[in-house]
Amino acid sequence: MKTLSRENLNLWLDGLAAQHALIAPHLEAPGVFYRPVQRAQEIAWEAGRPVLSAKEFLFPPSERLLKVEKRGPDVRLEASPSAAPQVIFGLRPCDARGIRVLDTAFVDTPPIDSRYASRRENTLLVGLACRSMGASCFCTAVGLAPDDPRDMDVMFSDRGATLAVQALTPRGEALIANLPLVEELGEVEPASRREVGGLPTAEAWKESYSDARWAKHGERCLSCRLCAYVCPTCRCYDVRDEALPSPPGEAHFERLRAWDSCMREGYRLTAGGHNPRAASGSRLRNRLLCKFVYYPHQYGPAACTGCGRCLDACPVNLDLLEIGGALQEAAQ
Amino acid sequence: MSISEAMQSAARDVLASGQVQRVIGYETGPHGRVRPAIIDRPEEAERLVWSADCTHNLTVYLHRALTGENGRASREAVAPPARVAIVVKPCDSRAINVLLAEHQFSREQVFAIGMACEGMRQGAPASAPEATLQARCLRCRERVPVVHDVLLGEPPSALPEALPDEALAHVRDLPPAERAAFWLSQFDRCIRCYACRQACPMCNCPTCLFEQEDALWVGMRIAPSEKRTFHLGRALHLAGRCVGCNECERVCPMGIPIGLLNRHLAETVESLYGHRAGMQPVLSPVTGMLSAEESAP
Repeated sequence: MKTLSRENLNLWLDGLAAQHALIAPHLEAPGVFYRPVQRAQEIAWEAGRPVLSAKEFLFPPSERLLKVEKRGPDVRLEASPSAAPQVIFGLRPCDARGIRVLDTAFVDTPPIDSRYASRRENTLLVGLACRSMGASCFCTAVGLAPDDPRDMDVMFSDRGATLAVQALTPRGEALIANLPLVEELGEVEPASRREVGGLPTAEAWKESYSDARWAKHGERCLSCRLCAYVCPTCRCYDVRDEALPSPPGEAHFERLRAWDSCMREGYRLTAGGHNPRAASGSRLRNRLLCKFVYYPHQYGPAACTGCGRCLDACPVNLDLLEIGGALQEAAQ
Repeated sequence: MSISEAMQSAARDVLASGQVQRVIGYETGPHGRVRPAIIDRPEEAERLVWSADCTHNLTVYLHRALTGENGRASREAVAPPARVAIVVKPCDSRAINVLLAEHQFSREQVFAIGMACEGMRQGAPASAPEATLQARCLRCRERVPVVHDVLLGEPPSALPEALPDEALAHVRDLPPAERAAFWLSQFDRCIRCYACRQACPMCNCPTCLFEQEDALWVGMRIAPSEKRTFHLGRALHLAGRCVGCNECERVCPMGIPIGLLNRHLAETVESLYGHRAGMQPVLSPVTGMLSAEESAP
């Protein structure tokens, strides 16, 4: 096991922050958020799960895809510049898996999302293992663990005065190449795990399509986008052209994309006014089946990382594990 | 009979007798969290609970329940219930009055199960003995819903003194530049998830101004200018309509003190017009009253 003293870690992080954008858990008035930090001192070390996942640093809430400047017959298109290097430190395994889920959809499967790809190429993921699972965490139910290093470039495990360090990728090796690591005997103590039940099998999710309970749950749903916006894997967006202030005789526009969610009422509204998902129950069903049926059908493993944010954040306590548990029972 | 049992019994009776086809109340979720419950059959009434954790303002569900606009996943046409019973606290009942004044439904369509209220608990689950009342409840002296068809529980005879709104006084006393900086930094945390709007019984526009298909008024960027416009615009639209249930602030994942802004406007409207939202079924003077000049033919 290779370890690094806390002092050297802080020095290293200060150095990283000077060279790259350093993103890390940071305490703001209402809670902990992944935020750009200038110094290691600004990092919230003992914090619980950040309120939002880290997806906003790869898939920002809104961004310009293109700027259009029209001067008479001339039209000039200006692509957005490529991304600057950044390191996300203190990333949780669930949030790293969330980025893996986005990678699969945006980069590994054509067509490649060039804006996302540009950020992803310039981002290093440096994890910090959770010592235990929070009250609403269920990462173990989706095949992860609180100290799962698999989706990281570098993984740290806090051992008090020192931290165990492990590079998982060549980029991670390069990142820690000059660190004064110490070889210590022994292994990293695994995080304490809690097994969480409630998630149905893929088959049970599939069979639930016509289940009357979706309508029942939908009656309670407020159709906000809270669950989707706190979710590390929800990745729907809307694209629109909006006018910009322009000098006389010219017309400037930008092509924007911004987060969107299938939970909102008008998401599936079609030309002509028909809305195939007008009922909130059908929207709720779509969001969950997207995680557990549609995404796996197209890309691979389920698109849920067990972070538990949606369980805590839902204003009316719509609970994925409760909904799923009942569907699983019905399927048996 | 406990107050929960009295409420279950009231709900069972109105469903069984056919007076209503649906009851909107509260239940306890699998992990002890209290949440809204919508039931259609008398035998479901046993699920209902009443406690100091019933903080949700259920009137947000009234309009959609009565129009059948929401909640059905099947294509079958289901006739909306003709009359709905709803469990209300004093603050929630004021929302019914505002919605009645705005013709969202008629009084006959609502059976209000009014609860004598001693305040809702802050955050922690009911079992936490050290739990205190929410700040909004410490400032409130309303114990009996202004709209009710049946009243359950005993309103206390002696009322504790309502606490002054220190948070509001503090923000109002800030120098203008600091006050602006405070609010803008709060709004800038917004992620435009619209949980505040969706949880608000007064946010009932079929298409929200801030979500038009064209971007003439507000663009779709999740960026400071749009966030500020949304929060300030929404607050103005609630002036004289907001009943102070604080659902917007409760549901906000980003901890934006939306209720503070609403209280500032509610106090302003009260001092200028002597109007408190929802005490009677009358429209807000801010959005509904024309000056003599404007109303002249």
